[in-house]
Amino acid sequence: MTMDMSRYLGLFLTEASEHLEGLGRDLVQLEREGAPAVVDSMFRHAHSVKGMASSMGFESIAVVAHRVEDLVDAIRQDPAKLERSLVDLLLSATDVMLAQVRAVSESKPPDDASSLLGQLAEKVSAVTGRTPGATRVINQAKASPPAAPAPVTAAARVSPQAVEAPPPPASEPAAEARVAAVVPPSEEGAAKTAKRWAVRLRIAPTCQTPGVRAFLVHKRLTGLGTLHGLQPPLEDLKAGRIPEGNIQVELETAEGEEAIRKALRNVAEVELVSLKPAVVAPPPAPVPAASGLVPAEAPRASNSADATARTVRVRTELLDYFLDTVGELLLATARLRELGKVLPENSRPPIEEGVYRLHTLVKDLHDKVMSARMTPLSLITDRLPRAARDIARRREREVDLVITGAEIELDRAILDELADPLLHLLRNCIDHGLESPEDRVAAGKGARGRVLVSVRRARDRVVVEMEDDGRGMNAAKLKTAAVARGALSAEAAARMTDREAFMLACLPGVSTAQDVSEISGRGVGMDAVKRVVENVGGTLEIESELGRGTRFTLRLPLTVAVVHLLLVAVGDEVFGLPIAKVVGAMEADSERLDRSREMPLLPHGQGLLPVYGLDELTGVQAPPRKGVRPFVVMEGDAGRVALAVDGLVGQEEAVLKPLSRPLDLLPGLSGVTILGSGRPVFILDVPRLLSA
Amino acid sequence: MRHVIFRVEKERYGLPLAAVKEVVVPPERFTRVPRAPAAVTGVMNLRGRVVTVVELRQLLGLPDGPTPSGRVVLLERGRRDLGLLVTDVDGIEAVERVSAAPGKAVPAVRGVARLKGVAVTVLDPEGLDSAVVGLFTAAQQK
Repeated sequence: MTMDMSRYLGLFLTEASEHLEGLGRDLVQLEREGAPAVVDSMFRHAHSVKGMASSMGFESIAVVAHRVEDLVDAIRQDPAKLERSLVDLLLSATDVMLAQVRAVSESKPPDDASSLLGQLAEKVSAVTGRTPGATRVINQAKASPPAAPAPVTAAARVSPQAVEAPPPPASEPAAEARVAAVVPPSEEGAAKTAKRWAVRLRIAPTCQTPGVRAFLVHKRLTGLGTLHGLQPPLEDLKAGRIPEGNIQVELETAEGEEAIRKALRNVAEVELVSLKPAVVAPPPAPVPAASGLVPAEAPRASNSADATARTVRVRTELLDYFLDTVGELLLATARLRELGKVLPENSRPPIEEGVYRLHTLVKDLHDKVMSARMTPLSLITDRLPRAARDIARRREREVDLVITGAEIELDRAILDELADPLLHLLRNCIDHGLESPEDRVAAGKGARGRVLVSVRRARDRVVVEMEDDGRGMNAAKLKTAAVARGALSAEAAARMTDREAFMLACLPGVSTAQDVSEISGRGVGMDAVKRVVENVGGTLEIESELGRGTRFTLRLPLTVAVVHLLLVAVGDEVFGLPIAKVVGAMEADSERLDRSREMPLLPHGQGLLPVYGLDELTGVQAPPRKGVRPFVVMEGDAGRVALAVDGLVGQEEAVLKPLSRPLDLLPGLSGVTILGSGRPVFILDVPRLLSA
Repeated sequence: MRHVIFRVEKERYGLPLAAVKEVVVPPERFTRVPRAPAAVTGVMNLRGRVVTVVELRQLLGLPDGPTPSGRVVLLERGRRDLGLLVTDVDGIEAVERVSAAPGKAVPAVRGVARLKGVAVTVLDPEGLDSAVVGLFTAAQQK
């Protein structure tokens, strides 16, 4: 890298990944609908990536982007050239570029893409009938701003019409305008009015007297006009304090480009890195990613001017921090109020008034923080079409994926957890649910299967449904599989309703898929889906009808789960059990319980429940207890269980906090919460405690 | 480089200043972590965040034994909330020359240095981090 690019790396990663994800989405949409408008958007995405990559000096990415651009252009010329294999190739090119972008942003060398480049080149010649020329985009990188159409050699462009066909400026994403000025100098004409130029200079690292050189440059430039925003400041320049030799300044002058270049030409050991017309409006320097805030860009779809710069990007860590801090503020306010109560009567009112005011403010802040954390589901559903296509392609299925209500918002923390479960459900629908086109036709259905993802608000919950019109689930087979695995007795299976039986698919290791594909059917996954949904405070339901299809329903809380807990004591420790899973509590004399193969059994209703000591399950030491003690009856994965505890502490509504490293490595914990007393309490995932 | 110097019983240790978020007084009691490895003292509430506190002794492969706990050194490890239970914190000192540590090489130890005539074991934050993760993963597989 010629310049100190590291500070732009974060921005590059975000923007390039967004363009690439956009490209992937467009490709899937194009293949499905053949809408020509999408082609323009694809071209823009590829083009932007190429520009950014080459200005950052990542030639290998730029070259791939360039080829992609060639191919998209070919489709633009002749939509008839669009075919599956071409889309496949473009999608894999997109993936490769994404991987490369991630690699370079971690300062690793990008993966070798030579085989992909070969394929791309082959495809270019196949669709255009020409040999793609050697692409050398890097040469222009230093001088050309990312947004400007990267100049290319005539041979590199495959179609003559495209040579000067950059995307129309009106639809140019706003982001690019920020990175650099977009207007090519030539178009600016020779107007002799004062204009601003962004000048970047670099003093050779070998230079012995950088201060002198820098001062010289400064003098030359002031001779031309006024300087603004000199970086580093003049004192530092004179003292030779120039980080990596980079100097930036905006020059306001009536002189033209050539005059500026000329003035700087014969200063030895100083290189003119770039000279561009500056954007007059707010300085375009991107905020370093480390500060946490990155200027946002106008939504790409609507490019209306009023939509620009109204939003900012915030790192999710920062949002989490806000929530933690606001929660702590609420707690601190409550403590203040308690303290106020012991004051003498006459001095109380002003304190109480102050605390009341504080409480209102903090509460308001809390609401705002919560709403800032709300994120539309599209953040995760946008990835589904591409995934659907890939899965369907691999399994030779035909599928239409319809997504509705993706604009509905959920707390960011829940959304982050949901990405994998939704993907897994989708796999399940396409892989297990949908039949092959032949089977579908034979069953009197259309050859193309349909997966519908619908999101809606239902009071304080968000309901996400995913349904397919495939073969449906076979309750009998699920029961057989569960019995075979020993997870269920034959009698219990016989009593089970179909609806209960479908939930057996969520037991680890139970799957009715005849073949175990790499995609799903290994019986892992559905249990994870259920676990994640329950851990964020939601529920999962499965409905299915043989031959008609299956529907998964996720009911989720809007915001970070407030869970209702039953607090139990084990020795000195307190643990939380989700009340949703608690059937009841009872007392019994543990020494007088009947045993079967050493497992104590607690009579409950008509049957006997296996008894587990919560001290043993959690590994917490508790003094041995004799006589009558409390037991908590809970739903386990394979029926009810009784947990022996030392005491029932009470019920509490608690805000669930996700487990941070390294706690998330432990089995059997579904989260942690902080009680009103300030004491952290773990929430137990009893089924996992039992199985792990 | 400036290091935070602290003691575990009589031995002195150093961690780069940049790797330390803050030093706090441990709570009266820690919340025990179910199924956690023995080296984990427990978790504590630090201004609304749940911080896992680990005993340094066992991370370094020293024989078990309770650490007389005087301070918790919180590590600056991104989203991880991790603290080390130590006997006391001495201060911040510049540590220049680090030579190889004697004995078995462990990833958590970068080397030893001499500071005002006494030996200081210089720790490696990355190594500590992976030692903790290793501890937890091993406990899970047991």
